[in-house]
Amino acid sequence: MFETINIAKGVNVHVNETTQFKTINFSIKFKDKLTKEKASARSILANVLQHSNEVYPSHTALRMVLDDLYGTSLYIDSSKRGNEHVVTLNVETVNDQYLSEKGVLEKVLNLMYIVLFKPNFENGLFKDSIFAREKNAIIQRIESVFDEKTRYAQQRMMELALPNHPASITSNGTIEDVQNVTNEQLVAEYKEMLTQNEIEIYAVGDVKPEMIASYIREYFHFKDREKTIAAPPMELVKPEQSRVLEYEDMKQGKLHMAFFTPITFRDEKFPVMQLMNGVFGGYAHSKLFVNIREKESMAYYVSSSFASQFGLMFVLAGIDSKLEEKAVSLILEQLEEVKKANISDVELDQTKALLTNQLKEALDSARGQIDIYDQYMELTESFEPEYMINKWKNVTKEDIAAAAQELSLEMTYFLSGKEDEKDA
Amino acid sequence: MHKVEFEQLEETLFHEKLDNGLNVYILPKKGFSKTFATFTTKYGSIDNHFVPLGETEPVKVPDGIAHFLEHKMFEKEEGDVFQEFSKQGASANAFTSFTRTAYLFSATGEIDKNVKTLLDFVQSPYFTEKTVEKEKGIIAQEITMYDDQPDWRLYFGIIENLYKNHPVKIDIAGTVESIQDITAEHLYTCYNTFYHPSNMVLFIVGNVDPDQMMELVKEDQAQKSFEEPTEIKRIYPDEPKEVAIKERVLEMSVQKPKVFYGIKPEKLDMIGPDMLKHELSAQLAYELLFGRTSDFYHHAYENDWIDESYSFDYSLENGFGYALIGSDTHKPETLIKEIKHTLQNAVEKWPFGQEDLDRVRRKKIGFFLRALNSPEYIANQFTHYAFNEMNLFNVVPVLEELEVADLQNAFALVSNESQHSIFTIMPTNKDAQ
Repeated sequence: MFETINIAKGVNVHVNETTQFKTINFSIKFKDKLTKEKASARSILANVLQHSNEVYPSHTALRMVLDDLYGTSLYIDSSKRGNEHVVTLNVETVNDQYLSEKGVLEKVLNLMYIVLFKPNFENGLFKDSIFAREKNAIIQRIESVFDEKTRYAQQRMMELALPNHPASITSNGTIEDVQNVTNEQLVAEYKEMLTQNEIEIYAVGDVKPEMIASYIREYFHFKDREKTIAAPPMELVKPEQSRVLEYEDMKQGKLHMAFFTPITFRDEKFPVMQLMNGVFGGYAHSKLFVNIREKESMAYYVSSSFASQFGLMFVLAGIDSKLEEKAVSLILEQLEEVKKANISDVELDQTKALLTNQLKEALDSARGQIDIYDQYMELTESFEPEYMINKWKNVTKEDIAAAAQELSLEMTYFLSGKEDEKDA
Repeated sequence: MHKVEFEQLEETLFHEKLDNGLNVYILPKKGFSKTFATFTTKYGSIDNHFVPLGETEPVKVPDGIAHFLEHKMFEKEEGDVFQEFSKQGASANAFTSFTRTAYLFSATGEIDKNVKTLLDFVQSPYFTEKTVEKEKGIIAQEITMYDDQPDWRLYFGIIENLYKNHPVKIDIAGTVESIQDITAEHLYTCYNTFYHPSNMVLFIVGNVDPDQMMELVKEDQAQKSFEEPTEIKRIYPDEPKEVAIKERVLEMSVQKPKVFYGIKPEKLDMIGPDMLKHELSAQLAYELLFGRTSDFYHHAYENDWIDESYSFDYSLENGFGYALIGSDTHKPETLIKEIKHTLQNAVEKWPFGQEDLDRVRRKKIGFFLRALNSPEYIANQFTHYAFNEMNLFNVVPVLEELEVADLQNAFALVSNESQHSIFTIMPTNKDAQ
């Protein structure tokens, strides 16, 4: 799928030359260690860099040049995976063979260079008004999680269950840490990102790998760097409380459950755990959906998910606040079924078929190709869907039951809307 | 079978209208492993007052019934259709909007079987009082979930403000109370009236051979019998030009206020090429006034009147439409004042020329070409356009022909202040409790 060209120690260019898409996609990923402080500073940095620069000194000027380049999209996001914090410059531009104008690609590559290397500095610091504004933007982004109660409940549970663990540190950091970042620190973080972070550069579209690599070599001047991120996982520490009940002014109750599993992305049983999650609650044919939603009519959404980087499985359900206990016992009942290998041939085949479909489908988008390749790079040199499909093929019900038996329920978090039932 | 080539876009679309009235479109996509299919009826939440098939008197049905019907289509005497799709490696889903109900799947294998399953399940209703009752608990939880989402409440709040009589103001899923009145008989009435093939579009995009696929669909449809197609009589109330409610506030559990400034367009009876030209013109006008390169955006963002949640949108259907501008904001009053000010200035003196138009036009063309990478976008948008007698693939040529005056004219239809309204969500005052 991708051809990889190493351009410096710790810096790789990966290109998928294809005519499948009408656009050309780029991602430049800067990877660093995940801490609250780093996540906070790097989120501000991402925003400051996408706001403006030396050549296009206002937000409007930068956006106008993007509009002129046929609405080229350019944004910098802040994300995490395992114990890595990743700042990604994402760019998508129309393949100019569909346009009357030519030479768009060179202009876009040049703009990417400007965004990364020509910041909007004033006396060696980021322009103060922009620094202050974007700091504020990140604080508001962190605060806004409260408005989406499912996200909020999940974040609350993680803070309580695994404080200071990469699983609970959010990609935007914390309000306090964002507030504490100084302009000097941000400049230091910026320089560190360019000179010391591991960098993966992706391009997908009708482009030549050697052309992209030589452009990056010639203009971006990335120097050698050492691998700094230690391999995960961090150990999961048993939470102090196993059940937490909180209240907000809302109508639906949000049930979130967290399970630990020793199986992670790097474990040879990773594919087994993916299937276990699928049989249990990943799909509309899964046990949770069929029994809690369809048979009991108790929920509109009820599902499980496997956070393979950390060895965590979550169950989420939106239910009537009065029915928490019943829902928990029904969910655990279904888990018992999986543990006892009470899984039909059909359930197993459906889950394998859907995992396969999901993976192949994801590869039908350029972003999907980049994300999947970037994730699986660690496990295999040249990822193809068959790599996983063949592993799923041989998994048996007994394997799935064995994986389920290793799960331990560590926290049940319930965000309830009914204040008056506090003492019940 | 008709074959239409869009040379500049390098796309070929195949179309045939079958004997039973069903419109079938196939768009092969080279290099893709997946196939995405939507089977859509021109029937949504606004179609709540109509003359049932074979009858003469109009009926009114309970709020939320189109969405309820969508849920119930998946349950059959022999079990759940999701199970069937899963066996064939397909992810299936459905959605109901104001004007459409769509059933869809995506799959990377067993495409023929999955297409058959899609056609079969949507064309074989099975409703009993028992299964209808059972669904009420599930949908009640769905409604409750949306009730807790401030962004959804904000969106519906402003639409309720804008429309006095038109059923667009009714929440698509109805209310926990209104769905209690729904019976199996209601569902059959709606089904028989609106799910006739002549009121539906099948769109298949992806890794398919168009000839073979068209044959498969034709054969399938020829084996099933349908009544003669008749015209569906839908009844919509008169809607005044001015908004129903000028201003309203709702309190919710949010961390800061949220505002939508809404505008009801003056002319809502457009269809076909007129509609396409108007919608694109209005969207470009709004892009210039409120987009990320506008003076408004610059001032509002740098002064912290808006944040990353800021959005603006212009959307039009036959019979209703709206322009919405809004954001989470610590300064709702200042933000509203600035929006009003921006609109007023544009009314007094239109500030944009050819260069501005060229820039936003290029942006829009780029957006459209990007979107054509997505089979989901193509199928959903194509159907939406087709139901309004427009062709999705005409977007670029129409954009290329627009002139500054077109933007001005489109903007003139939304400039009267009696057509404007404001909806605000404020954080619940905890101290007052």
